[in-house]
Amino acid sequence: MILNTRNKLYISLFLIPACLLVGLFVYVFLSWSIKVSLNDWSTIGRMGAFCGLSNYRELFTNDPVFIRSIKQTLILAVLFVSLTIPLGVITAILLDLGVKGQRVFRTIYLIPLSFSFVASAIMWSWMFMPNQGVINTVLRSMGMGFLAQPWLTSTKQALPSIVLVYVWQFSGFATLVYYSGISSVPETLLDAAEVDGVTLTQKYTLVVLPLQKPATLTVLLLLLMYSLRVFDFVWLLTGGGPAYSSEVLANYMYRVTFNYNRFGIGAAISTFMFLLSVFIIVMPVLISSIRRTRGNRI
Amino acid sequence: MKKLCVMVLAAFLCLSLPLFAGGSQENAEADEMVVYHWWTAGGEKEAIDALFQAFLEAHPGLEIVENPVSGGGGGVMRGQIKTMVMAGNSPDTFQLTYGTGMLASFGEVLTPIDELFEDFPLPEMVKMMGQVDGHQVSVPLNIMRNNCLWYNKKIVDKLAINLDFGSFDECLAACEKAKQAGYAPFVIGAGAGQQFWLGQITEQMILGAPNGGPEYITKLYNGEADPAHDAAIREMLEYLKALIENDYINNDYSALTWDQAADVLMRDEGVFYSMGDWAKGHFTSAGWEPKVDFDYVPNPGTDGYFTLHFDGFSLCKDAPHQDITMAWLKFLTSAEAETAFCPIKGATPPRLDAPTDMYDAISLDILADFRDPDTKIVQSIFAQPPEEYLGVFGSMLSGFMENPDVNQGIKDYAAAYATVFK
Repeated sequence: MILNTRNKLYISLFLIPACLLVGLFVYVFLSWSIKVSLNDWSTIGRMGAFCGLSNYRELFTNDPVFIRSIKQTLILAVLFVSLTIPLGVITAILLDLGVKGQRVFRTIYLIPLSFSFVASAIMWSWMFMPNQGVINTVLRSMGMGFLAQPWLTSTKQALPSIVLVYVWQFSGFATLVYYSGISSVPETLLDAAEVDGVTLTQKYTLVVLPLQKPATLTVLLLLLMYSLRVFDFVWLLTGGGPAYSSEVLANYMYRVTFNYNRFGIGAAISTFMFLLSVFIIVMPVLISSIRRTRGNRI
Repeated sequence: MKKLCVMVLAAFLCLSLPLFAGGSQENAEADEMVVYHWWTAGGEKEAIDALFQAFLEAHPGLEIVENPVSGGGGGVMRGQIKTMVMAGNSPDTFQLTYGTGMLASFGEVLTPIDELFEDFPLPEMVKMMGQVDGHQVSVPLNIMRNNCLWYNKKIVDKLAINLDFGSFDECLAACEKAKQAGYAPFVIGAGAGQQFWLGQITEQMILGAPNGGPEYITKLYNGEADPAHDAAIREMLEYLKALIENDYINNDYSALTWDQAADVLMRDEGVFYSMGDWAKGHFTSAGWEPKVDFDYVPNPGTDGYFTLHFDGFSLCKDAPHQDITMAWLKFLTSAEAETAFCPIKGATPPRLDAPTDMYDAISLDILADFRDPDTKIVQSIFAQPPEEYLGVFGSMLSGFMENPDVNQGIKDYAAAYATVFK
């Protein structure tokens, strides 16, 4: 296409609405949030006076719940990503093998992705109930009552239980992305590998999976994005409890802002979350881009 | 032609963005009142509908734009209201817990309404609860008594349990009797993010503790106590520890909501349940009969005390319909409004001269205590302390429930206290 003045005008006109919306709802509001985080605002009413970085200092030096919520957010993100990706790969490979009933299995894996988070959370909260919940009830009925757990009611198990729900909800998404990636591997490569005498396992480990780097990057980034701003499941399943054992950054930010009326501190938490997300999500993209550039130069 | 259409479309997209802006203030109708509340469940919805109906019959030609926002005991609605108010987009009025702490949070955005209290017979303590900087800013609509120990009457009668609890030890003895008979003695529901009920339950324990009492509770909620050294806190934690270690508390307390815990009594599986008088509405809506299937006694050591808060409505400073909202608030001070609302909700009216013949036997007991001049009225945990008190102590106590170490509990309690009152 020739980029003459008229074409450039058309392109600009079509881009302007999106730019305005992103500029307003992302960058302007982000700037406002940063401004609020630099002010002492802790009443419902007018913003307080400028206080510099004291809200941040307060969070990092005098708020053990904030520090704990950072750790728990990162633990949730690591567990969630490291369980969802392998599960997605394995189920995608199984689907690619063309087992009997493949279409049924594919539907079953993808159904959780279509559930609303609220419906999933309510369903799982009932399932996790120590006495009436279906998980412990089935275990007891099979004579394995010794395996019944307190699940969400335990400070040690609340966070892992939430991770389990997240993995259940999103493993279908990972399956979908990897299945799509595996399906698009050129037949010529697979034929050549067969001619070379590779086993089934070698076919996947040496040919198919190495070609899934783009899919892996996509899944990794999206799952990291979800996990760093997780709120709904935690709020609905445990509220961050018992005793802050499942408190994550987004929950704590909501609580501090809307329950404690500490708007400056809440804005400081949200700014920190933004910077954390940029660091964790942008870094892999940058590294990948640098490697690709170096690879092209070679 | 095609290019012209494309350019027109692109220009339209750019210019149409401002059309999506604009607040509802400019579009407000002159004869309507915008109200927010959180009464969406069971008898509450019927009660507020009856109240609106009664108001509209008294003020024909007006319209109520109702915005029910359920969830979190009003926490979700309050969060929404805060953003609206600070954006300069206040409703006319909204439901708010009537008590010094909660009202003080919103004090800057509420209009004084002292004139409405000239013909509103209330105990002086109740009037004081609705003041910010010496001015009345809210109208109380229904009493909510907190120090109620509900019990399954059939089980208590069957086990011949003596309910004259003068002390924690007597209550623990009753719990032991219930446990030996195979029942859950002391039912709690503090799950699904509702850990704050632990704060409400332990409030009655502090109130009834030998070194507790109304004056201590008031001091505690004003930020003037010293939990690290006050005997009442130790006594409360010791009592709670005894309930936990003797397995008197249901082991799934952290998975049940407050109403699911009430259901344990209704399944004849539990005996005692410490909860405010709104539990009565839950019991009766499920078919239980007051004083036949269930009844209540004041929590151990709290006889003669009346821990309470109210639901109330206020006038926002930026309310677009000030006159109509004042008429609404004036209506709420009337016996007619309380009579339209309270019986359906299962609550009791704050007006000292409100008629009582439409209330059940338990509500009459509650009213009798409220109107007794010797009763000591105490602001509850929902009314007096800052809004964050419930959440902070709910979390702290949920940790104690799992690890009931009294000495560590006192340190954690003091640390939580310092968080709220720093």
